[in-house]
Amino acid sequence: MQDRFSSFHPIVNFTYFAAVLLFGMLFMHPILQAVSLASALVYSIMLNGKKAVTFNLLYMLPLLLITAVLNPVFNHAGVTILFYLHNGNPITLESIVYGVSAACMFVTVIIWFSCYNAVMTSDKFIYLFGKIMPALSLIFSMVLRFVPRYIAQLKVISNAQKCIGRDVSQGTILVRARNGMTILSIMTTWALENAIETADSMKSRGYGLPGRTSFSLIRFDTRDKTIFLIMLGLIAIIVTGAALGENTMRFFPSMKVPDRSPLSFIVYLAYLGLCLLPVIINAVEEIKWKRIASRM
Amino acid sequence: METYRIENVSFTFPEKEKKALADINLTIKSGEFITICGKSGCGKSTLLRQLKAILTPHGKRSGHIYFSGQLMEEVDQRTQASEIGFVLQNPDNQIVTDKVWHELAFGLESLGCDTATIRLRVAEMASFFGIHTWFRKNVSELSGGQKQLLNLASIMAMHPSVLILDEPTSQLDPIAASDFLETVKKINRELGTTIIMTEHRLEEIVPITDRLIVMDEGEIIAEGTPEQVGTALGRMKHPMFLSMPTPMQIYAGVSNSLPCPVTVKEGRQWLNTYLSGKTAASMEEVSEGSTAVVSSAAAAAISFKDVWFKHEKNGADIIKDLTFKVKEGQFYCLVGGNGTGKTTTLSLMSGIVQPYRGKVLIGGKNPAKMNVQELFINHVGILPQNPQTLFVKKTVRLDLEEMLSQSTMSKEDKARKIADIVAFAELAHLLDMHPYDLSGGEQQRAALAKVLLLEPRILLLDEPTKGLDGFFKEKLAQFLQKLNANGVTIVMVSHDVEFCAKYGEICSMFFDGSIITTNTASKFFAGNSFYTTAANRMARHIWRDGVTIEDVIERCQRSL
Amino acid sequence: MSEKPLAGSRLSRRTWLAAVLILVVIPLTIILGIVVLDDRKYYFISLLIVLYTMIPFALVFEKRKPQARELIVIAVLAAIAVAGRSAFFMLPQFKPVVAIVIIAGVSFGAEAGFLVGATAGFVSNFFFGQGPWTPWQMFCFGIIGFLAGILFQKGLLKKTKLSLCLFGGLATFFVYGGIINFGSVSIFSSQFSWQVLLASYVSGFWFDIVHAAATVLFLFILARPMLEKLDRIKTKYGLIEPGDK
Repeated sequence: MQDRFSSFHPIVNFTYFAAVLLFGMLFMHPILQAVSLASALVYSIMLNGKKAVTFNLLYMLPLLLITAVLNPVFNHAGVTILFYLHNGNPITLESIVYGVSAACMFVTVIIWFSCYNAVMTSDKFIYLFGKIMPALSLIFSMVLRFVPRYIAQLKVISNAQKCIGRDVSQGTILVRARNGMTILSIMTTWALENAIETADSMKSRGYGLPGRTSFSLIRFDTRDKTIFLIMLGLIAIIVTGAALGENTMRFFPSMKVPDRSPLSFIVYLAYLGLCLLPVIINAVEEIKWKRIASRM
Repeated sequence: METYRIENVSFTFPEKEKKALADINLTIKSGEFITICGKSGCGKSTLLRQLKAILTPHGKRSGHIYFSGQLMEEVDQRTQASEIGFVLQNPDNQIVTDKVWHELAFGLESLGCDTATIRLRVAEMASFFGIHTWFRKNVSELSGGQKQLLNLASIMAMHPSVLILDEPTSQLDPIAASDFLETVKKINRELGTTIIMTEHRLEEIVPITDRLIVMDEGEIIAEGTPEQVGTALGRMKHPMFLSMPTPMQIYAGVSNSLPCPVTVKEGRQWLNTYLSGKTAASMEEVSEGSTAVVSSAAAAAISFKDVWFKHEKNGADIIKDLTFKVKEGQFYCLVGGNGTGKTTTLSLMSGIVQPYRGKVLIGGKNPAKMNVQELFINHVGILPQNPQTLFVKKTVRLDLEEMLSQSTMSKEDKARKIADIVAFAELAHLLDMHPYDLSGGEQQRAALAKVLLLEPRILLLDEPTKGLDGFFKEKLAQFLQKLNANGVTIVMVSHDVEFCAKYGEICSMFFDGSIITTNTASKFFAGNSFYTTAANRMARHIWRDGVTIEDVIERCQRSL
Repeated sequence: MSEKPLAGSRLSRRTWLAAVLILVVIPLTIILGIVVLDDRKYYFISLLIVLYTMIPFALVFEKRKPQARELIVIAVLAAIAVAGRSAFFMLPQFKPVVAIVIIAGVSFGAEAGFLVGATAGFVSNFFFGQGPWTPWQMFCFGIIGFLAGILFQKGLLKKTKLSLCLFGGLATFFVYGGIINFGSVSIFSSQFSWQVLLASYVSGFWFDIVHAAATVLFLFILARPMLEKLDRIKTKYGLIEPGDK
């Protein structure tokens, strides 16, 4: 399905991901972690479909297990000793749970990033940073234009080289590396010499005049404002919770989850709301569209 | 009102003695369409770059250039950027950003326009140029023609009063080039923008030009309406005359006192008037679309049998059921539109890609199974479309030597071989230059020399005339004919109908992944109605077999 | 873009900014991190410090309104570093990024070296996927380019094969390998321990060795022709004004 959240203003997208990534890396509270992981999973599947399912199962699950196992081997803090390794080091319940929790956090962050990569396309990023860093964001834009062009050119050059008897796919590693470098060298000359015309084209179109503006097709409209405000509200609640120590737990020497108060539930709900925001938006838009379609 | 007044301008590049421009005097009126022509290195690009101070190369200049009555040096940067639009040769190099819409807005951003203004101007330009359908695309998805159109549009978005174009269509295929020139014409006609352009492809541009300027050795040698310039060049017997539109050349080759024709249409009318009261010379019988078997006793150098090819498993077929043979010693031309599979056919010959059905044989062997040494040393040579993909070193000499670095020949043999090639390709005066400092035609000769060092018996060429002016084309043709006479088989893929008609031996028409018709060059073009030379289009209602300019002139002279 | 502006006022402005960061902002971050963040302090403190080091470069660069030709050179080199990977598709772990960044630093100065490195690190992740490692990669590539530029300016790094290869190998192994491994440890383990760090260095050892060897090989073969090409561009097209050597 098509992701509606992606169509929001980049600042909304970016704030959302900044928040979920930051919180995902900070909060080591079992409920909050579960919320974040589950939401990330749902959203990644929504965005990337089957690919996300295989990615999560094939890479994230083993990664989670390995990281979880690794921690107790190195970390021997904690009071509840389960058994001793043959080198005499204790394995504690706390360190196992902590390992699982840390692994969860790591995997969650990776999955959030997979969503981020699908939503925050390069042009959105360039738009955001075009305002504060115009020169650098122009460089990014140029590099993004050059890279596919250079990759295509490398292919052309390597074919041309093959046709004069220099093949990169045959021979010993050293020969191959050498031929690869010849190709890279040819490409460099080509790129640099041709780039001069690009610089001319920029100068010719007035680059470097004072007072350059930054144009974009994007507009911050009412729906962006609404969602942005909702998001800020949720973030405020979560941050308040964090300040009051609701969002984290103690692992060492013994585990302790903060007592649950009504406030805790509000914070949990706010976190769930924040993490699931794109999913909710997608669902609402879907229902709306179905209703409109049924009336047509 | 005048846009430019150029008074006694001379220009010398640093560390050079010869003037690149000598005493240029020129006045350009607002709204004029000016075409400047001349062979590569005649100073036309240098002149154009004088017209926008920010692009002027380092060097010594004398004389004055006025832009709208103001001295060029005093025109501020902002006015220069917005008022003087400049389109360069290579469509790819001019694009700065990665999105079409951003590219359109680039100049306006520099000028500091606000979002609302940019939005409007970008929308206007996109609509005027028909860009709106690919407005949000990445520039890497565009074709060469679209890219050049985008460059033009992004400059026009700044509303310049004068548009300068430096060989804008030299890298485009004929159809994209026509589209582009059509758009330039539209800009001149509908917006009244002054146009100053340099161009090799005079056939299409001359009819729409108000004033044609011919340069040679940094000087203006002829100036005026196309008819006047054509007559003047013809009188001077200047080599540039060979670049003039076909009807003008035919006209000049036949003694008559009628007005000079410029377009094919005028050429036909001229021919009719000329022949009225005369008996047209007889012609040979040619039947339409005849595919007479080209018989030759020689063995097949290349043979394709029922070849099918596609890039991806589920992709569309690029080559469909292709069967043909190239005999040893032939000069074989593959012509046809873009994306019909011509270049892929070359890749199949070189073994870079393999067919999924059918057989490709080079000298009786499958190229994809041969090792690179066997296939490319003393066997198949390929001149790539872009000669720059072959240059590795910092001088032409080193580059040629590098070619033999893997060979086991003695030093003296190598030196002798290089000397021979240098003499053949006329590179002696260029040996110590950087390959990128050579002109397009010279680069191609250097690349050809590199390929020839491997002593190929079959030479494959991909669009060798792209971007070359008439003079260098002539030169290339001489080399190819010399090689061909020495027994080298030549297979050439080209859009250049005139070139193939004049020099090719056998021509095949590619369409939809396969060859539609094959014949000897003269019969091939005589058999086609549209896909043929300008001379043929002009005279085919009288002489179907008149394919080249020389053919038609000869027949005119025989008609009494 | 000559080496000159760096030595002049710009270096001092950056030094000044750097001083503020090192003396004020970084200690503040560390204190705040320890007080507020508790368990997650290592990742966030180190991440923030990495980001801080990149900010002055960005600010100084933006402030001086660079010319079109400077932007182009940086963009071209960064793009070559990213795209160059595909010339060696048949050789795994063979990445030319560090070598090209070093060449950029030597040829165009420390600032350009840093920007080429950081840009290459950043943009390559648009093609391979952004992740928590992005800032670390940007920082590593950037700082290697910066070091190359500074050392060359101070005469400690020469344009000879030996000197460049030595620097390239050491920089790749110690700077890149050292920082990236530390970064990946800080990403997922909250309890800092030397053992974990050591384990990560051990497990990354061969990986780093191959990477360093590739960089040395690249520099051995490519350094001279590349530097020549860049010099040609600089003089021929006026990337440095005549007499501004």
